[in-house]
Amino acid sequence: MTMRRFYECGSADHLISRRQALGTLAGAAVGGLGLSSLMQDAAAAEMRKKGKQVLFIWLDGGISQFESWDPKPGSPFGGPFRTIPTSVPGIHFSELVPETAKIMHKLAVVRSMCTKDPNHSTGVPRMQRGDPANRGVSYPYLGSAVTKLLGFPVNGLPPYIWIKPGSAGFIYQEAGFLGVKYGALALGDGKPPIHINRPESVTDETDAARNELRRLANARFRLDRRDSEVDAYEQSYNMAMQLMKRKELFDDSRLPAKDIERYGTHPLGRHLLQARTLLEAGVQFVKVTSYHWDTHGDNFNMSQQLIPQIDKPFAAIVNDLEDRGMLDNVIIVLMSEFGRTPTINSRLGRDHWPDAWSLVLAGAGVNRGVVVGKTTQDGAWVDGEAWDVGDLFHTIFRALGINPNKTHYNNNGQPLPIARDDCFEIDGILA
Amino acid sequence: MSESTDSLLKDALPPVMEAAKVHLGQTFTHEFQLTRARFSPDGKLIAAAGLDKLIHVWELESGKKYTLPGHATWISALVFHPQGKQLFTADFHGTIHCWDFATPDSKPVFTITGADANITRALAITLDGATLLSGGDDRVVRLWSTKDGAKLKDLPGHTGCIFSIAVHPDGKSAASGDLFGVLKHWDLATGNCVRDLDAKALHTRKEEFIADVGGVRCITFDTTGGLMACSGLSAAESATFCPGIPLALVFDWSTGKEKQQLKLANKCDGPINALRFLADGTLAGYAENQGGTATELAFWKPDKAEPFHSFKGQSAYDLDLHPDGLRLLAPLFVSMGSGGNGARDKQKAKYVPNSSVVQVFNLFADPKPAGKLKKKS
Repeated sequence: MTMRRFYECGSADHLISRRQALGTLAGAAVGGLGLSSLMQDAAAAEMRKKGKQVLFIWLDGGISQFESWDPKPGSPFGGPFRTIPTSVPGIHFSELVPETAKIMHKLAVVRSMCTKDPNHSTGVPRMQRGDPANRGVSYPYLGSAVTKLLGFPVNGLPPYIWIKPGSAGFIYQEAGFLGVKYGALALGDGKPPIHINRPESVTDETDAARNELRRLANARFRLDRRDSEVDAYEQSYNMAMQLMKRKELFDDSRLPAKDIERYGTHPLGRHLLQARTLLEAGVQFVKVTSYHWDTHGDNFNMSQQLIPQIDKPFAAIVNDLEDRGMLDNVIIVLMSEFGRTPTINSRLGRDHWPDAWSLVLAGAGVNRGVVVGKTTQDGAWVDGEAWDVGDLFHTIFRALGINPNKTHYNNNGQPLPIARDDCFEIDGILA
Repeated sequence: MSESTDSLLKDALPPVMEAAKVHLGQTFTHEFQLTRARFSPDGKLIAAAGLDKLIHVWELESGKKYTLPGHATWISALVFHPQGKQLFTADFHGTIHCWDFATPDSKPVFTITGADANITRALAITLDGATLLSGGDDRVVRLWSTKDGAKLKDLPGHTGCIFSIAVHPDGKSAASGDLFGVLKHWDLATGNCVRDLDAKALHTRKEEFIADVGGVRCITFDTTGGLMACSGLSAAESATFCPGIPLALVFDWSTGKEKQQLKLANKCDGPINALRFLADGTLAGYAENQGGTATELAFWKPDKAEPFHSFKGQSAYDLDLHPDGLRLLAPLFVSMGSGGNGARDKQKAKYVPNSSVVQVFNLFADPKPAGKLKKKS
């Protein structure tokens, strides 16, 4: 990939072909390095010691709450599916999530989410950033925020890995004002970085020498220039080198066949199984994204096919993390950017519904076997106290042992809240 | 129209069926979404059902309405016994009820539970009325006695959920269609699958999809049994909005070969949900469309891709032909204004489900003003 910026002289020296160590790298210009720091670095060091991790499962498009965790079979909006009892008496789920129903006693379900944004393009970043107030800066996504708040783990692994369909790369944009090194290392279709295997012809000495040359070239290039993209490349190279030492994390032949069957061979199943591997290895924040949940058309036939794809592997990973003694240290968040409309449209689909929807939490710091909040009998509205994503961020940070009321970012001297300061942790979630 | 079409037709010489003269006939409104509608064999009643779990029966002449208690969940299919007083309905829990449909609020005559392990999506009945066929998510066509619901045969073989079933006019064969666009021709006497027919154009699974889209949503035979038509959605662009090209396929039943693909005249993105052959060999079909946008009731000559006539209308989920051959029936979508993304707070009190009309389409020249229909002498 070649780059040219307006301040370059155009000489051959400045048309440097850069090997894409991690696959496709985003090429747009970014903001500055970010001199953010925490006002409580000691707290971050303490959190690192406790080894808290996050599994963030994002169903992009909007999973239907009616067809999953808040069924309303008696409602005119309820849809055709049955409810089934869960492992907690009195709590029922849709029949489409039987495996999740069996582990409800390990989960906390919030049924009273009520957020503002009915759109994907604005809603997705809004949700994943905690809907920050407009402070004139680009707030980080949750994974970048947690990396900043907990610090880089001492194991040297990339702190924030994003397993997703499609393209790979180093997604520094998610770091916002924190600076590129807090960005997400995206694994396209869960595949390892494309250059994880060094050519056999390149010896250790040669590799060390060329890396030193690269560092020197980057350092020289940085002189009197903006440095954002160089930092991004440097970060991505460093991560690639770390992962080259841990190739076994991407060796599917090491996975028991029984596990592959339990999680499923579809992309979300494979990616959640890979997430388990990465969490076991000590990756601090793993985001797993599945697209195409936006069932405007043929919602009920599509839900029959889609929802089992999260039900089975989600139950599997919760159970597996518990079996490995990790569930007390890993907080798990399962959500979308909104839910789906009560009304059924002309294509027998459901449209976007931020007004009353559900998400699921589990793990570190989270109460187990609880449902927080409820919707009206017809499922259309929140009945009682409603919770916003700012409240969710307070809850997640608290579960990680971080006090959002006492911890702030420092963005070039500008103190910025880590979660909306007009929000609070969700009642009944925190253990 | 101050008199119902039915009473006009009763007192007049039968009009000439002319699909190109189609116009709106009687309209029966309902406060919930209905997805299935049928004329009774004597043509005097309409039965309709759908998302409110009840079976609604209207007398065509008077418009008088009554209900049958219905099911525990959405009703997915309904079919009248061709000679008797029975109506069969199926639902999303795999339950089939048999009703004495002439008696309001009556309990089912008998019930088949577990007709499908999951959703029963399709019902059909043999011409002698002796055998009911069902099919759904567990991919098995089943044959049942219409006398008592006893199971007669299992016809396994589909690998995808069954969306549609139709019985051949000769009474000896049936066809069933599934999610993957596979049509199976069954010998009803032996239960053997005679052959598969290829309707895979009605199925889409692209690499980036995480679900299969489409399926054979309707199968119908012409009166001679020489042609079979099926329909659904082709070339779906996504498994979210599921937009695609509404499509009907016409097969030569004797050879099993596809003869023609039929498309709508106007832009529409949902499946053609239902087809009916008219007495003159015309094929009528109706689709559903996104966003409450109107679509069309289309009329084709089976050997021509484009309709020779289209009638604009709202999304429809079923289509039936009156025994007199002069009227079609379709349950249509009606938006109640609560659609789209997100709530409209100011309309919170008015956030109600979408609804339906059960619409009769007259297949003859509009007799208005009065007097155009010749009275019987």
